[in-house]
Amino acid sequence: MSHSHSWLRVADVAHGRSGDKGDTCNVGLVAFDDACFEVLRLQVTAERVKEHFGDLVTGDVTRYELPNIRALNFVLRGALDGGGTMSLRSDHLGKTMYAWLLRMELDDDGSVTRRRSTPVWEG
Amino acid sequence: MRTVTLGAGMAFWGDSVQPAIDMVERADIDYLCCDHLAELTMSILQKQKDRNPDHGYTRDILDLIRGVLPQARAKGIRIVSNAGGANPEACGRRVAELCREMGYPETRVAVVTGDDIADRIDDLLADGIDFRNIDTGAPVQDVRDRLTHAAVYTGSEGIIEAIGAGADIVICGRVTDIALYLGPLIHEFGWRMDDWDTLGMATVVAHAIECGGQATGGLYDGDWAGMPSLETMGYPIAEVAEDGTAVLTKTPGTGGRVDIGTVSEQLVYEILDPTTYLTADVTADFSQVTLEEVGPDRVRIFGATGRARPDTLKATMGYRAGWIGEAQFTYTWPHACEKARRGIEFLRRRLDRADFQAQDTIVEYLGWNSSWGALQVPPPHSEDVLEVVVRFAARCADAEDARKVFTQSVPLYNNGPAGVSGIGTRPPIKELYGLWPALVPREVITQRVSFVNAPEGEAAGREIS
Repeated sequence: MSHSHSWLRVADVAHGRSGDKGDTCNVGLVAFDDACFEVLRLQVTAERVKEHFGDLVTGDVTRYELPNIRALNFVLRGALDGGGTMSLRSDHLGKTMYAWLLRMELDDDGSVTRRRSTPVWEG
Repeated sequence: MRTVTLGAGMAFWGDSVQPAIDMVERADIDYLCCDHLAELTMSILQKQKDRNPDHGYTRDILDLIRGVLPQARAKGIRIVSNAGGANPEACGRRVAELCREMGYPETRVAVVTGDDIADRIDDLLADGIDFRNIDTGAPVQDVRDRLTHAAVYTGSEGIIEAIGAGADIVICGRVTDIALYLGPLIHEFGWRMDDWDTLGMATVVAHAIECGGQATGGLYDGDWAGMPSLETMGYPIAEVAEDGTAVLTKTPGTGGRVDIGTVSEQLVYEILDPTTYLTADVTADFSQVTLEEVGPDRVRIFGATGRARPDTLKATMGYRAGWIGEAQFTYTWPHACEKARRGIEFLRRRLDRADFQAQDTIVEYLGWNSSWGALQVPPPHSEDVLEVVVRFAARCADAEDARKVFTQSVPLYNNGPAGVSGIGTRPPIKELYGLWPALVPREVITQRVSFVNAPEGEAAGREIS
């Protein structure tokens, strides 16, 4: 994506979680508000997600909607190197897969306010 | 309106028992529901049972009982658990014994079995059930001689029966996580077993809380830094109404938070098509689920529905699938990344000379690209890297080959690039179990309920289908 215009990341408009079912990984995104959800719906398509994960996902990607909680669910097949019990990866259960999707870049059409603030942990 | 209150006590084998102890002490719950089984767990438990016929269940149930029993007995809280794993009978006997040791001999412990079909595979194959892999379509003959366990995700009938017969503690094998919650609700409310919308709604409630702290702020990706007191996390509680809707909350005075954010994240955890969430009891539809904050740490959940349960049940079988061998070491500045790559090349060449056979190998640089390694994230500028941890892992058919990964890496200690540490601690090789998902007709599975300490004159066991 060109950066000559304004852009943001999925992380700016949604929070996420991922998990495993066999060799399938699902990534759920929850938008911070209605405007953020609209941006997700328009721009985070199954095709773009498939492309974004590249070689990490060998199968197809399907998108589902849970509109009342402003969530999208992506089902990534062939995503876990044979599944949690077989995978050689450190992250054999796909717990960090959501974070890669949070990095996806989106066009900023000015319709949303970035909702994720940089966390400060004052331990 | 009458409510029944369910608490999520444990979310996985080895989970802390403290949230359950806090819950029975401070909250007002009717049932403590505990899920101990993941997909892989049954193979591990079967291996333990093969070595010792009194083992094969998740022994954390004993720590749980030790922690919660006095309060649970005093308050009349019943406990429903799938800790039985591959050996529910042995688990039930030990739990009943522990109750006696703790001074509660009147505690009635029921055991629900019928999920284990390992000894029936050949008969079922002869009856025409093909156990074809539902993901790959492959015939079960490919792995038949390597099968380690075979269990069917069974539903709530056995639990309903056990509670109805007066059980204080119900120990199950491989029932669905959802059944641990649906069983008590169906018993209490007398829902019909084909009241699909109500069962579907209650299934979504169960899904929201069955992973414990993941619904109350654990693993929360929203404002994780602002989450109060993660280390004293309270586990979730559902106050379920007669229509299956609920208010979700958590143990008073604990850490974490219950709000639309924390619950939403958990609702989308480990689901596929939200309109078709298949369980043994109902096909639940999550797609219209709705959340509403009704107070501090209180979220109302409603809007889910259901359709008829599937005609088949899902069997999950494990099979021996080889071994993983691995080695890991740290390289330091200067040229940490280059040295790490040279170290891996050293290991690969030595393995080649040792006639090493592997099905697949992986190289990960921890702290740089281990999570998304296949994407070849470029290294940071090498001059800025103080250290990098490199991990090599291989999947091998043979345990001897898996062992070579470590033995052939040892010479890196003094023959490889400089600035290396962490060599010499032998990581164990790990046996792999593949999972073989298949479908079986519902009619061939019969759950059985028995009481460990059945009073004189009462039937020791009862079959239901």
